Amino acid sequence: MKKIILMVLTLAFTAGCETVKPWERDILAQPGMQIEADPLDAQLASQVYDSKEASSGGNSPAGGGCGCN
Amino acid sequence: MGCPCEIRLAGSKDPTTEGEHCLGEIRRFEAKYSRYSEDSLVSEINRNAGLSPTPIDDETDSILDYADVCFQLSDGRFDITSGVLRRLWQPDMSALPAPDDIAEVTRLIGWQKVRRKPGEILLPEAGMQIDLGGVVKEYVADAVVQLALKLGVTSGIVNLGGDIAVIGPQPSGEAWDVGVADPDDSTRAIATIKMKQGAITTSGGYERFIEIGDRKYSHLLDPTTGWPADNLLGVSVIADQAVVAGSLSTIALLMPEDEALSFLADSGAPYLAIDTAHHIYRSEVTL
Amino acid sequence: MKKSPLAVLTSAALALPAFAATQPSETSISVKASHYKEEDIAASDVLLGSNERYDIDVYQFQLTTPVGADWSLDVNVNREIMSGASPWGTISDFATGEPTLIMSGATISDQRTEVSATVSRYFTDSSASVTLSHSDEDDYEAKAIAIGGEWNFMDDMATLAVGASYSSDDITPTDALMFGRVTDEEKRSRSFSVSWTHILDRTSLVQLGASITDRDGYLSDPYKIRDTRPDNRLEKTFSAKYRKYFGGPGAAMHLDYRYFRDDFGIRSHTLDFAWHQQFGDRFRVIPGIRYYSQEEADFYLPADSFLIPLDQYQSSDFRLSSYGAWAFSIKGVVNLDDWTLDLSYERYISAGDYGLDEPEFEHPALLEFDFVTLGVSYRF
Repeated sequence: MKKIILMVLTLAFTAGCETVKPWERDILAQPGMQIEADPLDAQLASQVYDSKEASSGGNSPAGGGCGCN
Repeated sequence: MGCPCEIRLAGSKDPTTEGEHCLGEIRRFEAKYSRYSEDSLVSEINRNAGLSPTPIDDETDSILDYADVCFQLSDGRFDITSGVLRRLWQPDMSALPAPDDIAEVTRLIGWQKVRRKPGEILLPEAGMQIDLGGVVKEYVADAVVQLALKLGVTSGIVNLGGDIAVIGPQPSGEAWDVGVADPDDSTRAIATIKMKQGAITTSGGYERFIEIGDRKYSHLLDPTTGWPADNLLGVSVIADQAVVAGSLSTIALLMPEDEALSFLADSGAPYLAIDTAHHIYRSEVTL
Repeated sequence: MKKSPLAVLTSAALALPAFAATQPSETSISVKASHYKEEDIAASDVLLGSNERYDIDVYQFQLTTPVGADWSLDVNVNREIMSGASPWGTISDFATGEPTLIMSGATISDQRTEVSATVSRYFTDSSASVTLSHSDEDDYEAKAIAIGGEWNFMDDMATLAVGASYSSDDITPTDALMFGRVTDEEKRSRSFSVSWTHILDRTSLVQLGASITDRDGYLSDPYKIRDTRPDNRLEKTFSAKYRKYFGGPGAAMHLDYRYFRDDFGIRSHTLDFAWHQQFGDRFRVIPGIRYYSQEEADFYLPADSFLIPLDQYQSSDFRLSSYGAWAFSIKGVVNLDDWTLDLSYERYISAGDYGLDEPEFEHPALLEFDFVTLGVSYRF
């Protein structure tokens, strides 16, 4: 599993960090390129997975809890 | 605005109404900031010079704040009080102004002398003037773009006398082709730039100039010398906002050639500059 | 480092009123309806009770609107209606030693309503928000407050986001007297999160995040026959999210990884992949795969033990067992001017041997479900 972490981080940083000018951000502004492409879906996914798996957190800043048994 | 304006809107539901809104925005700025109109706020500030502070609104306050940043950044070359020099340098004049007159008028220039408090401005000496044209003309282009975006227009371009701000790409998704005019023949383009967003402005002595004898003088006047800026022939700059591109191109044009070229190279924005020998300089950043 | 003239002028220009609005410039209303049904448990794995599990409908409503020039308001309403049966406990089958389930009757039905409101204030290079939320169901009530701040750095190449939240929950199990359950318990959670989002180039960006959550109070499951968990739990997560656009196919790739660990002894890995394929201006199709694997809690037992004293930790909850899960999803999005419609389907399957840490006995209550969501949103 360490390998997966490494893969993700390497992938993320191979691109390097050049300054992207404001007028070059047309692609980054597309809906599909947002961290949360659909906030309601993200909220629902957290709610469902958090109640069926032992893990939670790491998505959006936390909201309220639920009984969810 | 004293220059041809063009707004093209596409991809909108009701172009006529939206176009009217945009033109309304331009007229509002013109009425408020034109130095040609007696009723404008700028004329009022100038009339009150040496007399009393003029109350101003938040919008004007922020435009003056922006002009202040330009003044600092250009070591005093970009000075909205330098318009008094136009009394000496008229487009239809036939002889150079007398050095004494230049010295006399130059004393009325100096943004650092202007007294400001939030909500008011005082030009301390009678005869001093401010001219916001150098900031407002480009800022209007930005304001129209922002207004169009708020109205839901997704495609279009605003051209205010050569300062161009893009609302969004053509309806097909393609970029607009924006031409940079040849200094010798304004109907020809020396470069064509593809733009989907952002703004491009061009400053140059060649679009509006003063001709005395067989010499052309730039309409841009250097407040530090009182003479027309005799430097680069033209500068075009691309930035996200027309107001930013416009101040970068104006500041570069007010600098001596070498200084201007290194200022542009360090500016962080794509540019295209033409010197008096008609050499073309391009930024390394893709234009 | 000295700021470039462009950076100086841009930040000065952004103070001009025309650019003041980084808050949502239009109002949007979104509604989603979802349905999912957990699959029945094999009858042979159930000793007592119903083998049917939950059937859940979820309705979500969201309103986002700018208020004045610098503020925005976000209102969320979330309603869940569930019915079915839930595991009460697990005991060893005398013959095989494998755990078999004791389920509740198929009579449980509950509704949960959560309302939350967020107010955000936008500044030139930053924003701040406060969220209040309230969730209510028959046997559970949660009240939470969250605050968050975001700052843009390096010519807006990077964004730092920091958040803190506090939740206070009340647990009042149904039929408490009849089954000898606890009657009224409390639980509190405090959570801190931090993330750094960085634009790498014109087509990619990455977000690295970490969070820490501290829970205390009654953390056991009141409905289980034997379930005693510590009354403190400290959870930590580390996450990385990567977005990359491919111009050839015209698609954006999403790759998310999360590592989770807590002091119950649970460790988990979540890997999420999605491909946002654009077709023309109007259509987007998004296939996705999610993999999840967790290691069991230190006090997890495959079958409830009645020999261990009540005050010692034990739980046979399938959520605390070792297992792995796969989720396969496909979503379609249609944009029609001011309207957006979306439809998605997900298949979730879990099993002991899908996990990286295969357990001796697979928990019989591990879930499988199909999930369908239909959404509409309107902007004006």
